[in-house]
Formats: sequence, C-alpha cells, structure tokens
Amino acid sequence: MRAISLFLTFLRVGALNELQYRANLAIQLLESGISVFTGLVVLALVFSQVPALNGWSQPELLAVLGVYTLVGGVIGMLIQPNMERLITDVRQGTLDYILTKPDDSQVLVSVREIRIWRVVDVILGFVIIGVALVQLQGTLGPLDAVAFVVALLLGSAMVYCFWLLLTTAAFWIVRMDEIVELFMGLYASGRWPVTIYPDWLRFGLTFLVPVAFAVTIPAEALTGRLTPELLAGAAAFALALLLVTRWFWRVGLRRYAGASA
Amino acid sequence: MTTSSGVAPAVHVAGLRKTFEVPVRDAGLRAAAKSVVRRETREVAAVDGVSFDVPAGEVVGFLGPNGAGKTTTLKMLSGLLYPTSGEALVLGHVPSKRESAFLRRITMVMGNRNQLQWDLPALDSYELIRAIYRLPRDEFRRTRDELIELLDLGPLVTKPVRQLSLGERMKAETCGALLHRPAVLFLDEPTIGLDVTAQKRIRSFVAEYNARTGATVLLTSHYMADVQALCKRVIVIHHGRILYDGALAALGERFAATKTIEVTLGDGQAGGGRPDLSGYGEVIGYDPDEGRTRLRVPRADAPRVTTRLLQDLPIADLTIEDPPIEDVIEQVFTSEAPSDPSSEEPADARSRAPAG
Repeated sequence: MRAISLFLTFLRVGALNELQYRANLAIQLLESGISVFTGLVVLALVFSQVPALNGWSQPELLAVLGVYTLVGGVIGMLIQPNMERLITDVRQGTLDYILTKPDDSQVLVSVREIRIWRVVDVILGFVIIGVALVQLQGTLGPLDAVAFVVALLLGSAMVYCFWLLLTTAAFWIVRMDEIVELFMGLYASGRWPVTIYPDWLRFGLTFLVPVAFAVTIPAEALTGRLTPELLAGAAAFALALLLVTRWFWRVGLRRYAGASA
Repeated sequence: MTTSSGVAPAVHVAGLRKTFEVPVRDAGLRAAAKSVVRRETREVAAVDGVSFDVPAGEVVGFLGPNGAGKTTTLKMLSGLLYPTSGEALVLGHVPSKRESAFLRRITMVMGNRNQLQWDLPALDSYELIRAIYRLPRDEFRRTRDELIELLDLGPLVTKPVRQLSLGERMKAETCGALLHRPAVLFLDEPTIGLDVTAQKRIRSFVAEYNARTGATVLLTSHYMADVQALCKRVIVIHHGRILYDGALAALGERFAATKTIEVTLGDGQAGGGRPDLSGYGEVIGYDPDEGRTRLRVPRADAPRVTTRLLQDLPIADLTIEDPPIEDVIEQVFTSEAPSDPSSEEPADARSRAPAG
C-alpha cells in the first residue's frame, strides 16, 4: 500500500512536469510509429511467404506484436528510467540520499522516475491487440481476458525483478550502463512467440530473461493457448523472483554499506 | 535525550574504526594482468579509532585534508557505512541499524551531490520529500515557507533545478534537506565550489538555523571561513585519527610553531627606506605605506625578540599574533608526515567510497 501511495505521488509530480514538454510527445509518436510500422511490414513479409509460423496465424502474431508493444511501453515508462537512475546514483554516490530516507529503499528506487510519453506505446499496444482480436473473430472469453491481465501483470513484475537483479550488481560492478542495451536487445526477441525458437533459446528467454513471461504468455492468453497450470506456474515464478530480488537487494545494500572500496 | 538539558550527548563516538580493503598492485601491464587473476588486497583504515561526544545544539567543525576520514566518519554517523569496530550513537540510536525513527531526525547535505530532481522545480521535489517523510501538510508548508524565506529562495523554487546557478541550487538543496526538521545535521562540504557571497549565505543560514532550532551540526569543510564563522569547537582529523579536539581559538596556541610580530617604526627612523629587521626574525612582509614590517619568529622566542625590538628601535606600534588559522592547519598536516602511506584514500575508490 505504502509503495502504491508513494508511486502515485511520484507519478503525479513526474507526469505533471513532463506534460509541459510537448515536443517529447511528438518525438515519441514518431518513434513508436516507426517501430510499429516496421513490425507490421515484417509480419506482412513473413506471411507473404508462409501461411502460418509454427502454428501461429497472422492475426495471432499481430496480437503478439500488440503485447510486445504494450509491455515495451510499460518497461520504458516505469521500469527502465528507474533502473537507469539507480545505476547513476550508485556511481555518483547520490544513492546516499535514498539510504538516509526513513522509507523502504527498494520501493524508493523503483518509483522515482516516469517517462509519461511512453504511454503512447501502451495505447498503441492496446490498439494493435484490439485489431488482432477483431481479426481473430471473437474467440476471447471473459476468463481469457482476466487471464491476459493477470499474465500481463505477472510478466511486468518479472521484468522489473530481472532488471533490478541486474542493476543491483552495480554495487559490485561500477560500469553497468551496457545492461540497458543488453536487456533491450534480448527483449527484441519477444516480437515473436518464444515457441518458435530452438529449445535452448526458449529456455533462456523464459527463465533467464523473462521475455516469455512478459510477452508470449499474455499473448497465449489472448489466443486461447494459455492453460491454468501455466498461469499458476507463472505466478509461482513471479513470487519466487520477487523474493530473490528482495534478498539480493538487501545483500547489495550490505555490500554498499560495508564497502571495500 | 536530545533536549537542551545537555545530559546525554547528541552524538557519542567511542573507538570508531572503519577499514576498507583495497586492491594492491604495482604499476605496469604485467602487474595489471596479474591482478586480474589474483587480486591482492590490503586493509586500509580510513577512520582509525576516533572518540568524541557532541552535546545537543553544538556546531562542530571537522578539519582535515582529503582522505583524512572526515566523510567516512559522517557516513558512519548517518548510517550509510557500517563501522568495522567501535561505538557510535546518534540521538540514542545506533546509526547502522537505520531505524526509521533515527533517519527521521537526521539529515545529510553533500555539497557536491544533489538530491533534488534535476528536471523538476524544487517545489515539486519538496512535495516528494514530504511524501517520503509523511509530513503533515500544514506543518510541511510552514517549515517550507520559513526555510524559503530564510534562504532567500523566493521565486527560484518554481524553476527547474537545472536552470539554477550552483549557489542557488545549494540553497534549494539545503531547504530540501531540512523540511523534516532534523535534530542532527551532517553537512559534508556544504559550500564547496560556491562563490564567496553564496558561501556566506549558506554559512549565516546554518548559524541561524542552529540558533532557531537548537539542532546539532557536524560540518566538514575545506574553507576555514566556514569553520571560523560557525564552529567554536573543531576536531582535526588526519590519517583517520584525531589530532586535536577543542576550541578553535586554542588551536593556534597548540599547533602554531611560530608567531607573527608586526612592527611599525617611529617617524624619522625608517628614513624613507625599508628597515632591515632580518636580524630579529624572518621578514615575511613589508608595507611601505604604513612602514610596517612583518616578522615570523619561533613561538618560544617571541617574548625575547619583542623585548629586543623595543630596546633597540623606536617602535611606534607592535603587535604579536598567531599566524592565520589556515597556515596553522597546513603546518599541522605537513609536519605530521604520513607514518603509513596506506592511510591515504584508496586510489581507486568509487565516488561513494570515503572521500574525506
């Protein structure tokens, strides 16, 4: 609860401020437009050659693209800016200010920054999903819709955990800037359902970098592929990851406070 | 225990020590390659057994060259670093436990680092600080407006922080650090890089804040002027140890090896030319307008030299002074040749590692 109320305060202040910078909106519209357009062109190219990709039809893959865009927007809006700021804070020593605050430091470093205009991607994602659902001709029941939302939340939570785990390594390794590039590179593989990749890569994209949980599983919910067992498994994995992240953050802080140069 | 009764000190430190492990390697490529495989480390004591008490309401200045252990001490007292050994109590709390009740009553200002959001007006950052400390809105507003007035911030708080000058930013930072009305202030180089006017402003503010709220202030600074203006008591730290703890005024008596004698000769004697007084001491200055000569003499010789001057020459005016406090401090640090080079600041310390 406390985390949510703090988050809302930061959201309000951050959003109000960024709303002043309309040029950023224009740039974001352009960026998101290009990204979605390329995605659509590639999809069209693929389906001009084959009728289906590993069992996924064109509208189903459109749904994947929609989820990919949506989750990418959530990451860019809420997760990435906070993690980048954390890396800077560790390097510049300004994390000290967070640690002298009478509040949970993990919560504080996770809610401070917001890039409000990335909401464009979130909206675009929903639009693409909507189009895909129309093309799929109404196979989505209310239960599937709930499963989709739950899968989406779990996936975002896992991406957050994964990213914070990596960022916490900044307590040991000073140069962590490349982490952002690394993650976004891996995330790009989420444009396609992870089931099309070879086993070893699919495993990696599921449990090492939770792209499967972030994109493929919510998309499976949309296309009637998701089993309750898989969703329960995702929930268990998300919980485990949250606990591990919490533990690792504490270890990182101890390291920071006991710092050996 | 922090009230003006003065029974229990606001800050109690006994035998505080902090050691860091730093990698050691020789210069050169081969050594660098070797250290990748096998890292040799060595323990370095940034703070090496310091003890002191600070009663509530006192303003204490920490003096020492870079790497002396000032910042490391402040960081241990604010709960940012765990002490390797020894005891620290601030307002009755053990800082390293980082209890909420403790953190609410302290604040840390680092002159070279910002906490305010760069792209936001300070006013918005203050709002975020209010949320973090869960300050009641009325009380928050009152404190905020009072601080804004005291610091003469005025309309600056509505501009994005990145548009402020360094001095303005520091004032805005100071305001943000005090919104929760802390009882203990750790100020680490609060005036670093500021111009003289801005330095004075921050200084007079700290004095005013201390007088109004009775807050305890621990201050480190490179600028003697800060310390002279604010602190009756100074703690001189060098190589992690306390060299001196006492009244600023007595520092000169304790450490100055010399005294400065200023002599003005009576009319006619100077003969328009510069008198040669080198037989009495080292001549360190001459003011032809006033006909005044400045002599540096060993401390113990000062009375004898003075008597001789008075006997030998028609003196119009003569004063004996301790050298400027900066010179005294410099003398202390240079004469105390490092007995152990390892107590220098770790060479590859990250910015967050001990910087003082």
